[in-house]
Amino acid sequence: MSKAQTIKIGIASFSVLASVALSSTLAAAKDIVLGASVQLTGPVANTGRYYRDAYQFAIDKINAAGGVKVGNETYQLALKLYDNQSDVNLSVRQYTQLVSQDKVNLLLGPFASNFALADSAISEKYRIPMVQGGGASDQIFSRKFKYIFGTLAPASDYFGSTIETMKTLKPEPKSVALLYADDAFDVSVAEGTRPKLKNAGFTVAMDERYSTNATDFNSLLSQIKSKNIDAVLVAGHETEILNFVRQAKSLAVAPKLYSFTVGVPSEDFRKALGKDADYAFGMTAWLPSADQKDRWFGDADQFAKAYREKFGYEPDYHAASGVADVEALVQAIEDAGSIDAQKVRDALAKVKFESVYGTIAFSENGQIDLPQTVIQVQGEKLVAIHGEKGPINPAKYPMPAWDAR
Amino acid sequence: MDLLAQILVNGILLGGLYAIMALGLALVWGVLNIVNLAHGAFIMLGAYVSWHLYTYAGIDPFLGLPITVVVMFVLGYIIQRGLLNLIVRAPMFNTLLITFGLEVVLTYLAQLAFSADFRTINPSYAGNSFQLGPVVLPLARLLAFAVAIILTVAMWLFLLHTRLGRAIRATAQNLVAARLYGVEPRHLYAMTFAIGVGLAGAAGGLYGTVSQINPYIGAALTAKSFAISIIGGLDNPLGVIVGGLFLGIIESLTAAYIGPTFADVASFGVLVLVLIVRPSGLLGRTA
Repeated sequence: MSKAQTIKIGIASFSVLASVALSSTLAAAKDIVLGASVQLTGPVANTGRYYRDAYQFAIDKINAAGGVKVGNETYQLALKLYDNQSDVNLSVRQYTQLVSQDKVNLLLGPFASNFALADSAISEKYRIPMVQGGGASDQIFSRKFKYIFGTLAPASDYFGSTIETMKTLKPEPKSVALLYADDAFDVSVAEGTRPKLKNAGFTVAMDERYSTNATDFNSLLSQIKSKNIDAVLVAGHETEILNFVRQAKSLAVAPKLYSFTVGVPSEDFRKALGKDADYAFGMTAWLPSADQKDRWFGDADQFAKAYREKFGYEPDYHAASGVADVEALVQAIEDAGSIDAQKVRDALAKVKFESVYGTIAFSENGQIDLPQTVIQVQGEKLVAIHGEKGPINPAKYPMPAWDAR
Repeated sequence: MDLLAQILVNGILLGGLYAIMALGLALVWGVLNIVNLAHGAFIMLGAYVSWHLYTYAGIDPFLGLPITVVVMFVLGYIIQRGLLNLIVRAPMFNTLLITFGLEVVLTYLAQLAFSADFRTINPSYAGNSFQLGPVVLPLARLLAFAVAIILTVAMWLFLLHTRLGRAIRATAQNLVAARLYGVEPRHLYAMTFAIGVGLAGAAGGLYGTVSQINPYIGAALTAKSFAISIIGGLDNPLGVIVGGLFLGIIESLTAAYIGPTFADVASFGVLVLVLIVRPSGLLGRTA
């Protein structure tokens, strides 16, 4: 036998051993296995990590607190996680594998609406409930699916509180530009925002859809400037919004206000833009507070601190939503007194408890309803502007010209 | 009218950036007959080199550009001599496979090394602009445009007037004849590839100052560079400038007057048209 062959056989047998060892740790008795496919690599990996870290963090915490009680028995939680490489098709195949080959008990979701939209077809087909905290598009919940539950507030309402805030600003903005990417989440945002703007009496002077991979916003920005638009609402992805803000500065385009569906709450985004992030509005359904109690983490404030210490970056609403997904499954298992998928599904439909993320309860279609707090970057800080109960802090408005900062 | 002027200026400046991105790809393609699918990944690496120089050593991205180019040049030379030289006589398909593999490896190594976080090279003047009549000229884009034109013209002069440049052109035109005249192809191929990667590095540094960097920007940039090379033609660096400007202007006009979702439709539509009407590019020699 040649040396090369020996090495090949050696590698092959090692990988067989390794996979046997891996699968046996997973299949240990009295484990409840939660399966998920998340973006660990690929263009949205930097948001995908929130879910990887949040799922594992919640599972470790619950296991450390004694695990999950089902009747008289106690189970430990285990996580079976795949990397979908930011590829929707791969994600669908991995969820199929999770339920058909890995035989996981219950499912956690991927990040992003277009993924959740495709993957929820698998949970529905195999009748395994999926609780997902990464997809907010109303499309996910409009198909009368019974096995999909979501902990992000409806996309159609993302700008709802922002529009309320705009009514309170002096001088009130008049003309509005609505820009959105052509994917499930952003189209839902635009569809929900359009009638809200009309009802509130704003003129929608621009209503433009752009390609998801767009990097050049100079044409749109030039139009915003030439039409003298007061408020710009953008539904898109972090990369696009970074480009949008940088190009706005370089073309000296400064509307009175601009607000973005993503990016503003995350530390990474503010770091990338530095001082140029100032004045940007956004929204979040979650801000860490000691008032938000949680059975495992104490409260949301303690959770945020522990998370930062463990992973070295700030959690945002994605992370809190991911933790809520694990907790919702555990709560439902305990309520049902069973790990049977059908019984857990029925318990999820009725679940109601307090978590780091807020009160978890699902409406008829499976989606949570949480108010969006309007936030703004003010200097180094992220400031809450307008919440469910009205104004919280004064907004910095209108945004000054770029050369007057 | 003011809007149209602004849109045209935006398109021209975008085109300059496109040209510098495509320059290295077109050179390598023309001389080595390798469609380097890892070209975008090299642009991404160049952007990270500039980002590190700026963030950790405080070196201005435009002043640091020569350093980035040298680092990428050396990397390119090593990769050609150590890896691509193995398949230099292989069919086109093998070169596609190996450069595609290289793209995947570089991208994932970049994520391991630099994380998937978004980075920007953001010196205080990066967002500055000045007004010229009704038109706003963004400073960073204008500088990037100037660098692109300078590098392209320098490339052109280099290919026309230096010994190495003439050897590169000779090899591209007729390898056997070039060898008979004493050209040593291995070194020459490595030099050409290194120049191509060095140019990609320069493009990356400029890209980071006007846009954002993450490990996954490469694939889209390769596609864009590919289209520009075809539109402009492979014979002449000036063709790449024409291709870049043409594409930049068309995309800007489409985004403004038809709709931003149609920008890519327009640019790849133009690509198809050029392939039908002038298969060797706008400035390419007609066969």
